[in-house]
Amino acid sequence: MDSDRIAEIIIAEIRSTVPELEAQPITRADSMTDLGVDSIERSEIILATLEAIGLKVPMVQLHGPRNIGELADLLHAKSAA
Amino acid sequence: MTRAVGIEAMNVYGGMACLDVKELCLHRGLDMPRFENLLVQEKTVALPYEDPVTFAVNAARPLIDTLAPEERARIEMVVTCTESGIDFGKSLSTYVHAHLDLPSNCRLFEIKQACYSGTAGLQMAVNFLLAQTSPGAKALVVATDISRFALADAGAVEEWAYSEPSSGAGAVAMLVSDTPHVLRIDAGAYGNHAFEVMDTCRPGPDTEAGDADLSLMAYLDCCEGAFRDYSRRVENADFRDSFGQLCFHTPFGGMVKGAHRHLMRRLYKAPPKEIEADFQSRLAPSLAFGKRVGNTAGGSVFVALAGMLETVEIDAPMRVGLFSYGSGCCSEFYSGVVTPESGARLRAMRIPQALDRRHRLTITEYETLLRGESVVRFGTKDAELNHQIVPDAWPVDAAGDRLVLDAVVGYHRKYIWI
Repeated sequence: MDSDRIAEIIIAEIRSTVPELEAQPITRADSMTDLGVDSIERSEIILATLEAIGLKVPMVQLHGPRNIGELADLLHAKSAA
Repeated sequence: MTRAVGIEAMNVYGGMACLDVKELCLHRGLDMPRFENLLVQEKTVALPYEDPVTFAVNAARPLIDTLAPEERARIEMVVTCTESGIDFGKSLSTYVHAHLDLPSNCRLFEIKQACYSGTAGLQMAVNFLLAQTSPGAKALVVATDISRFALADAGAVEEWAYSEPSSGAGAVAMLVSDTPHVLRIDAGAYGNHAFEVMDTCRPGPDTEAGDADLSLMAYLDCCEGAFRDYSRRVENADFRDSFGQLCFHTPFGGMVKGAHRHLMRRLYKAPPKEIEADFQSRLAPSLAFGKRVGNTAGGSVFVALAGMLETVEIDAPMRVGLFSYGSGCCSEFYSGVVTPESGARLRAMRIPQALDRRHRLTITEYETLLRGESVVRFGTKDAELNHQIVPDAWPVDAAGDRLVLDAVVGYHRKYIWI
């Protein structure tokens, strides 16, 4: 699964976790914080994405990315490792 | 069967003043639709003449007052648990011991590991009793913390902003003995998860720094890791079925809700509806006091336990699961058994009534306090406390049973009963 596909999954999880964002265009360059997703919701989106791509890593290892694209790249790198 | 040990008596002290958190969020211009997610209503604000010692002593005194002289004489250890220390060498426990007039054949010391300190202190006491080196002894464990960080400069205020609505103050005093009327600890039933992480810290005397996201992630990892270690030690332990109620360290209610949801998904792939119903029945009661005092750090998991005992009707012995997390980080999942007597004893402390009596600060009064002009900073050599900084907060019905800071003379803190 490539990074773009993982970004699509993240974006789908964002829309399902925060229904207010359903109609809003979201790209790899957006940050969840700027979209108004709170910290609890962000952790849920990450957890749901991990489940969807079948990856098991501690949450603290996924801290740091500044936008959806960087998070997708990190998850992609972790999956490949 | 293992020996009965645990909490004989417990009290929560929520200070003399509080602030409406919704008013604060409106004042700060925070996003109100999301406010409800925090699950907080009020927070205790420490007045300049309240410090970790006064909180600790005021929490403990009602427990000590009910003891017969021969019972008081068996208190052989006073452990203070805090991240709000007032001296690098001398522990808070020396002041607590003095103002409670406890016997001199006593171990006095202080424990630090962020919000995990209270559990570290309780386990220290429990294991002292289980070791039977002094049969029949009691230990007083007091978790006491205040947040008073916005003192340094405007930068500190800004850095602090993320946790301002939830940072509270409070102390929980626990008498630990072999007559555990409030919570009988399941000896040997515990699990730990710890690793080095820089999530939140107190790098200077009056500053807090941190990354809320990283802290949440560490909390979630620990919640799962500590429970998995618990199940490794305890045969057939089941997060859903083994515990009638759960009490978690509560930075704010929303975080507990997130952790519970995380665990239910990871362990059982439970659907959202089931998770919500389980949260409402097994965790919501534990938020009763936390949503009124804010994050009490070291004492927070016991504030949760007290809130649960206050609000749940217990008609038969019930196992309770406790989760403690302290940034940095260390965590523990452990358990104990409560009975109908536990609820009755806790309710006799009349904690909600004491919280109701706190002065409700106006935003103007709160901002005056935030400027910190009257606050005794860490390392202060001499000071006189202004007891009239918020005139309406000073009690009119003082009965001589509440300790406040009066002065600092040559670094020595002087307290008075009012």
